[in-house]
Amino acid sequence: MTAPVVEARGVSRVFPMQAGAVTALADVSLRVSAGEYLSIVGPSGCGKSTLLHVLGCVDVPTAGALRFQDRDVATLPDAERSRLRLREIGFVFQRFFLLPMLTAWENVELPQAEAGIARAERRARTAELLDYVGLAARAGHRPSELSGGEMQRVAIARALANRPRLLLADEPTGELDQTTGGQVADLLDRLHGDGTAVVVVTHDAVMAERAPRLVHMRDGRIVEDSTR
Amino acid sequence: MTGLRALRFAWLTIVRQPARSVLGILGVAAVGALLFDMLLLSRGLVLSFRTLLDAGGFDARVLATDMVPFSGPRLDHASTLAAAIRALPEVAAVQQVRTVRATAGDRSVASAMGVDDGEDDGEIEIVGTDIHVHPVWTIAEGRDVAEDPANGLVINRHLAETLGAKPGSKVTLRGRCGDEASMPPPVTFIVTGIATFPFDTPGDDTAGTSIASAARLCGERDADQADMLLVRSRDGVGADTAAAAIHARRPDLHIVTNAEIVDQFSRLQFSYFRQISSVLATVTLFFGFLLVAVLLTVSVNQHLGEIATLRAIGLTRARVVAGIFWESVVMVGTGGVLAVPIGFVVAAWLDRILRRLPGIPTGLHFFVFEPRALGLYVVLLSAAALAAAAYPMRIVAGLPIAGTLRQEVVS
Ligand SMILES: Nc1ncnc2c1ncn2[C@@H]1O[C@H](COP(=O)(O)OP(=O)(O)OP(=O)(O)O)[C@@H](O)[C@H]1O
Ligand SMILES: [Mg+2]
Repeated sequence: MTAPVVEARGVSRVFPMQAGAVTALADVSLRVSAGEYLSIVGPSGCGKSTLLHVLGCVDVPTAGALRFQDRDVATLPDAERSRLRLREIGFVFQRFFLLPMLTAWENVELPQAEAGIARAERRARTAELLDYVGLAARAGHRPSELSGGEMQRVAIARALANRPRLLLADEPTGELDQTTGGQVADLLDRLHGDGTAVVVVTHDAVMAERAPRLVHMRDGRIVEDSTR
Repeated sequence: MTGLRALRFAWLTIVRQPARSVLGILGVAAVGALLFDMLLLSRGLVLSFRTLLDAGGFDARVLATDMVPFSGPRLDHASTLAAAIRALPEVAAVQQVRTVRATAGDRSVASAMGVDDGEDDGEIEIVGTDIHVHPVWTIAEGRDVAEDPANGLVINRHLAETLGAKPGSKVTLRGRCGDEASMPPPVTFIVTGIATFPFDTPGDDTAGTSIASAARLCGERDADQADMLLVRSRDGVGADTAAAAIHARRPDLHIVTNAEIVDQFSRLQFSYFRQISSVLATVTLFFGFLLVAVLLTVSVNQHLGEIATLRAIGLTRARVVAGIFWESVVMVGTGGVLAVPIGFVVAAWLDRILRRLPGIPTGLHFFVFEPRALGLYVVLLSAAALAAAAYPMRIVAGLPIAGTLRQEVVS
């Protein structure tokens, strides 16, 4: 078995609310190995996004531990955790979350600049990524000038900018029609083929079937974890 | 590198919201101009008064008593005293000053007939000085009194117009000394030049001549009296040391340095301006702070999703917090730079209005620039920029990434 990129051990996430605490994750353990491809499915509100946020180090579990490349994330200071997100993790959201004042090119270049990549290398990588997602011709366009599918492909290019080990996608096709959604899914397949570990949360059964490993959640728990 | 990128980001945030940014920058420019003016006002009178006192390079005064100059008893044996003080190693120069009131020869008739206009009582102030020492006035046209030691007279522009005189003209003056009964005989002078006198107010008629001529106007021949002596300390010695040396020699005399006079005025007469300007500067600064704080807070709250996105893709907390700080700096900085020329224009305008107050010497200004004022301006504005950014910076620092992204999807 290959070494895990990220591993959740007995993770719980409880949101204290005025109307009563909500348990989004209850004692979840999940191990994602390098280069693995898995889908997470389950009914709405079962905690899929919350799990993805915890795996991506943007949320902190209320109990249990998260180990990223065998380091306990809870003990890391903000700068270190940010560095993990910047260099090791790529995020793709249902709503894209591109920066509206930046062009497609600048959106893809931003994480590289932030990581201190030299200008020439940045240029080559950005061109390569936009080409990879089939948007070389739209480099100078702002998100408002792109279609949903194009925005999502830019978001994927941005997520890949620093060659992360782990790509986390939360309903990446949720806002797209079947054809464009299919293109995005193809892109994720290709990514996995290139060696990145991919975790996709989806309501789309067809898309979920693309991954060899399928994780079922219900009420904040993993109820089934199968590999074909 | 990181700083540059943060600055570029702040710049992008600013240019994408042109209406908000223009509002902010103009607001800061208006507030900054007012603040800058208040700083110029707070010490303007003091600085300008000091400049007038320092005219001719004299930095201390010797009087017979501690009474206001020209109202107390005179110094006797003035030339002997001046020479003795001049001989002190701490002293570079001594000027004797004797003032006399006079009327122009034909003017006395006019005032006797009661046709004098209200403001202009026809009285001329004659300043007598030692013509061998650096004068207290500045020649604007023609030559100094030394040109004609016996009869020379320099007059200010206003008096020249009143008398219709110019260099070369003859002017007959009648001294008004002591009791009215003893009317000394008139004296005829030759105008050698037009001069400006440091403490002249716009309607003043002032003339300068030798101290002997001034005495002659009062019918005195060998009085050798002066109202005061102006002393210039030797370079590198300082007024205080020179004053101490004079005091050691003549403890009966009253010696004040220019610094002491200014100090007294700034504590008493000028303190109103300082207080008013402090209050207005504080209020102004507070408005500037409020404006920028509100604009930044609104902007941050509108872009929480983007900020959370930046955090999610790996920007550190320090980095996004710095972004808000830079945004504040760019806004306040741009407005603050714009404010300075506006401030100068408004200050000149206000200065002109205030100087129309009666009895204000022509050379006195209310708004005076000094590098210190600019320095203080920069410090105060920077503090305001930082304070204004503090609350939005706190919002950003405490922003939960996952919760905010979720909120963005829900809304
Ligand atoms: N920041 C939060 N504050 C309060 N409750 C939250 C928060 N995030 C998640 N929850 C709650 O946790 C539970 C799981 O939410 P989550 O978004 O993970 O579900 P999900 O499986 O992604 O659902 P969906 O398929 O609809 O996206 C829900 O009941 C939700 O209301
Ligand atoms: Mg979800």
